[in-house]
Amino acid sequence: MNNSALSIGETRAGSVCVVTLAGRIDSSNANDVMAALTRLITAGEKSILVDLGAVLYLTSAAFRALLVATDEAERQAARFALCSLAGHVRELFEMGGLTEVFAIHESREDALRQLG
Amino acid sequence: MREVELRIGSEMAEIGTLRDALDALAAELGIGMRPLMQLQVALDEVVSNLIKYAWDDGGRHEILVRIRAGADQVELEIVDDGRAFDPLAAPAPEPPPAGKRPRPGGLGIHMVKQLVDQFAYERIAGRNHTRLVKSCAVGAIGGRKEE
Repeated sequence: MNNSALSIGETRAGSVCVVTLAGRIDSSNANDVMAALTRLITAGEKSILVDLGAVLYLTSAAFRALLVATDEAERQAARFALCSLAGHVRELFEMGGLTEVFAIHESREDALRQLG
Repeated sequence: MREVELRIGSEMAEIGTLRDALDALAAELGIGMRPLMQLQVALDEVVSNLIKYAWDDGGRHEILVRIRAGADQVELEIVDDGRAFDPLAAPAPEPPPAGKRPRPGGLGIHMVKQLVDQFAYERIAGRNHTRLVKSCAVGAIGGRKEE
């Protein structure tokens, strides 16, 4: 699998686990995002923030991964939010009709104020 | 007119080959970042849909992708020998039941319709030909830097 296009990083900010995605999330690697997020949720993380600020684009496969993670977080009573959508990434969420579906924060700082 | 022809096997991991080729051509020809990203998403949606649904024998099939760049547009033609499928006839995603999250079925094709300027389909001699055209400046100086 060619994953050079995507990097997945994890850091902690107080009680919040911040997952930083960078690059492109497409059909060849969206399952890696899903696996990383569901692993954190099933490991008992109760606040997960996905920072999309360095994402160039994402496809419907990525939306599927984020929807699955949102459902899983709900089942485990964990909070799951997204932040820092750049211009054309936000446009893709809008095209998919998904801006209302996720908890989306303007910036990481805003998100941490509400989640932390 | 510049044309590049690519052949990949029907496996998700091979989508990276298309992505890299389109990136390289965009860098070479000077295609802006925004149209490039939109083409990348549209190409991924069409090809991944084929890989998931076009064949049911579990075998490896070939998908041909032609990228044609003119002065003011980029055309992607995707050719496969899978079952006949007209993506333009695919229904829009169903609105989710009240209080439920949407499921992403059909979402990709719905996005493609918004991402490109022309989206056409023909079945020719037992093959699907899906054509995507994006109008955009090709050869713009510093095109990769624009947003």
